[in-house]
Amino acid sequence: MQVTRREFLRSLGSSCLLYVVSSVPGSGIQKVYSEPWPADAEDIECRFYALDTDYLDCFAFHDDGRVTVFAGRTEMGQGLRTVLTALVTQGLDIPGDRLTIILGNTDVCPDHGPTVGSSATEQVAWGIWQACLELRKDIIRRAAKTHNLPVKDLIYQNGVVRSRSDPKQIIKPHEVDKSEIVYMMLDPKVSSSERITLAYKDIGLHNVDAKSIVTGTLKYAGDLKLPGMVYADWHISPYHKKLTRLKSVDLAEAQATSGVDRVERIGPKVVAIGQRYNDVCKALTRVKAEWEKPNRSKDLRVEEEIRAGAVFQEIKEQAGDVNAGLAASFKTVSETYRTHYTAWAPIETYTALAKMEPGGNEVTIWSGSQYPHRVRELASQNLGLPESSIHFINTPIGGAFGGKVAPPVSQEAADLSRRVGAPVKIIYSRKNQFQKRGLYKMACVFDFTTGVGTDGRLQARKLDIYQDLGEGTRETYAAPHVLIKHYRTEMPVDQANTRGTSYVQLGFAQESHMDMVAASLGHDPFAFRRNNVVLESFVPLIDACADMIQYPRSSLPDNEGIGIGLCNHGARQLGVAAAHVNVDRKTGKVKVKEICAAFDIGTIINHRTATACLRGGIIWGLGWVLREEIKLDGHSVYTEYLREYGIPRYSDTPEIKLQFLDNQEPGSPRGCGEMPVIPTVAAIANAVYHAIGVRFYITPITPEKVLKALGKS
Amino acid sequence: MNVNGKKHRVKAEPDEPLLWILRDDLDLTGTKFGCGVGECGACSVLIDGVARRSCRVLVQNVSSGQEIVTIEGLGTKNNLNPLQKAFVESTAFGCGFCTPGMIIAATALLAHTPNPTRDEIVQAMDNNLCRCGSYPNVIEAILEFTNGSKP
Repeated sequence: MQVTRREFLRSLGSSCLLYVVSSVPGSGIQKVYSEPWPADAEDIECRFYALDTDYLDCFAFHDDGRVTVFAGRTEMGQGLRTVLTALVTQGLDIPGDRLTIILGNTDVCPDHGPTVGSSATEQVAWGIWQACLELRKDIIRRAAKTHNLPVKDLIYQNGVVRSRSDPKQIIKPHEVDKSEIVYMMLDPKVSSSERITLAYKDIGLHNVDAKSIVTGTLKYAGDLKLPGMVYADWHISPYHKKLTRLKSVDLAEAQATSGVDRVERIGPKVVAIGQRYNDVCKALTRVKAEWEKPNRSKDLRVEEEIRAGAVFQEIKEQAGDVNAGLAASFKTVSETYRTHYTAWAPIETYTALAKMEPGGNEVTIWSGSQYPHRVRELASQNLGLPESSIHFINTPIGGAFGGKVAPPVSQEAADLSRRVGAPVKIIYSRKNQFQKRGLYKMACVFDFTTGVGTDGRLQARKLDIYQDLGEGTRETYAAPHVLIKHYRTEMPVDQANTRGTSYVQLGFAQESHMDMVAASLGHDPFAFRRNNVVLESFVPLIDACADMIQYPRSSLPDNEGIGIGLCNHGARQLGVAAAHVNVDRKTGKVKVKEICAAFDIGTIINHRTATACLRGGIIWGLGWVLREEIKLDGHSVYTEYLREYGIPRYSDTPEIKLQFLDNQEPGSPRGCGEMPVIPTVAAIANAVYHAIGVRFYITPITPEKVLKALGKS
Repeated sequence: MNVNGKKHRVKAEPDEPLLWILRDDLDLTGTKFGCGVGECGACSVLIDGVARRSCRVLVQNVSSGQEIVTIEGLGTKNNLNPLQKAFVESTAFGCGFCTPGMIIAATALLAHTPNPTRDEIVQAMDNNLCRCGSYPNVIEAILEFTNGSKP
């Protein structure tokens, strides 16, 4: 993108020195630039955008002592802004009120990739920490050179360079080089004797957005206003998006709604636009549209259809001869598990404000996205404009969970703004939030057959995974004979990645299955895990959970049970959870009394935000396995409401105890936002089994299913 | 109408929800739209001390004699009220979108039950929804707040 250097530096608000730090060796930065600003260089393209590299970190040192950090990952309530503040204030030895962090603004922030996979802390924030430490060294080196002082005489302290021999001599970072931009290569392979080592210390910084949040002053996209702004939202089909088309519309009544500017058909869609949100809502209820009925049966037999239409994708894992292994096993257990359709369901529905300039060739978009640069790329394609003409300003996100990577709402708002010649704010209705995109965490089928030896060790594992790629097999359990295959089926709805991705579905199936394999031997489920986990590091976590939840107990009341679940997320984040549940035989309701969880996730940068996130992930897991469900059939999705959908509530909240593996060697942080979901799901499912002796093979474990199962037994 | 102690005169359709008057006409955007049907509580405000869902209060049913208090009326960044401080201290939020509604609901609860038990908190707050799962921390914030205010 071609923001000129002058514009970019001017946008920073004061004269400053900009450090661009590349953390990728061989990135193409040939040397560190320190030439003075060329006289005729007014319109030279801002250099770092031309570099084809990942993970540039940008730091601006202003002449008033402020520092601005630019990063491409975004804040969605996981505490990234706080993590970055904690790292940079310590890394650069500056107070928080001198630090500004700009996230996800495509004009000025590097493309750090999507904020997904619980990876921002490890991949981006920790790299920024390393950059801070190297910056200190470089700032001293430059200060020595430009101020003609011996390097050994200088120290970096409180954000400035001081002379040891002359304490009155202070050199500020923006003064250490005559040029305006400095490029620095951060080579991870540099020898440790040359590195500055500084052990990061978590001082328990409060969430930096806390005061804005509790006063209602944090501005999300929907809180922004522009003169002449209008609201818009969509009429959507009652049928699955990909199985229907818009045949005809009658918009007369809708258009006659008082206050509404226009209701029109744009290709396959219908939009209502008006000055007041309420008028837009009213108009949409008056849209008459004829949609083509899907050409398939209404009846959706999920498992049947998944199997019937399954297309083999790949062998995920193979070792030995699984059939021979099974034949030679002491006991084999064969089961099928099935999961259900769920949604992101953030409290903030899809929202974007866009202002297209007169002429229709330049647009600014405000929205909360997990991947602003991708939004810009898609908007560029959709609008037929170069990326340099699209300015995406990232706003705080009211919950994302995988659903706000690059949703269409931003380009929709931009397109409408061009059509109406005014700023347009789209706020999806809750129904549209549930239904418009047709994307859900998929219902999956798992055919599991496991063979185990007399010693209680896994001998053979055979698994057919249908639908979502089942991740987390190899990292948790192993056997000498393995065959894991993956199949995919086209269904009326398409795949979404929600919190935990497909680790969740496999975690439910795998951990339930492991429990049943243990039961076939009469082995204790905790001991069975200890005996079979691939990584030794799981054992202290299992022990910690057993300790916290006081397992085993000599006796538990009737209809109460304790279960365990494990997860190795991305082979980086280990989690174990134990759940204590009570099942009410009269109502079928599963009450989770307590969740105890232990994690091995590396260095914790900020325990306040980490704990909040982990507890939140535990609640999410509880909701997935017990409460949430997208209701659909072969023609339509029916879920419209949050309560009906079943997102968890205060009354679902268990007691929660957490423990972190004591990291003797401070290593990098490995992240944790999604991982707690999986062991929680598994632990609850297993606890239900131990409470009432009934195994549920199909999620969610609803009161209806429990009553039906109990009625049978 | 009387909002946060100030009198305002607004022009609106009678069937317009109070939520949009607050957000669009009075620039009080702390009160959020989450569902529009009174389920999530993100739009909660106090009307004469009672937590109400402003997305379900039609402006024609608001009288000038009623005292409406929004999140903006409880405290400012430089002057947080004690409950807001407790929410900060306990990190009683994730993304923060539902938080103004939570604080309004908690304020209403504490006005008539100054020392609620955990069960009473759960029951009173149960209709305020959070997707980030901040419930344990909100419960902790309210319990810490009442502990702090005990003599």
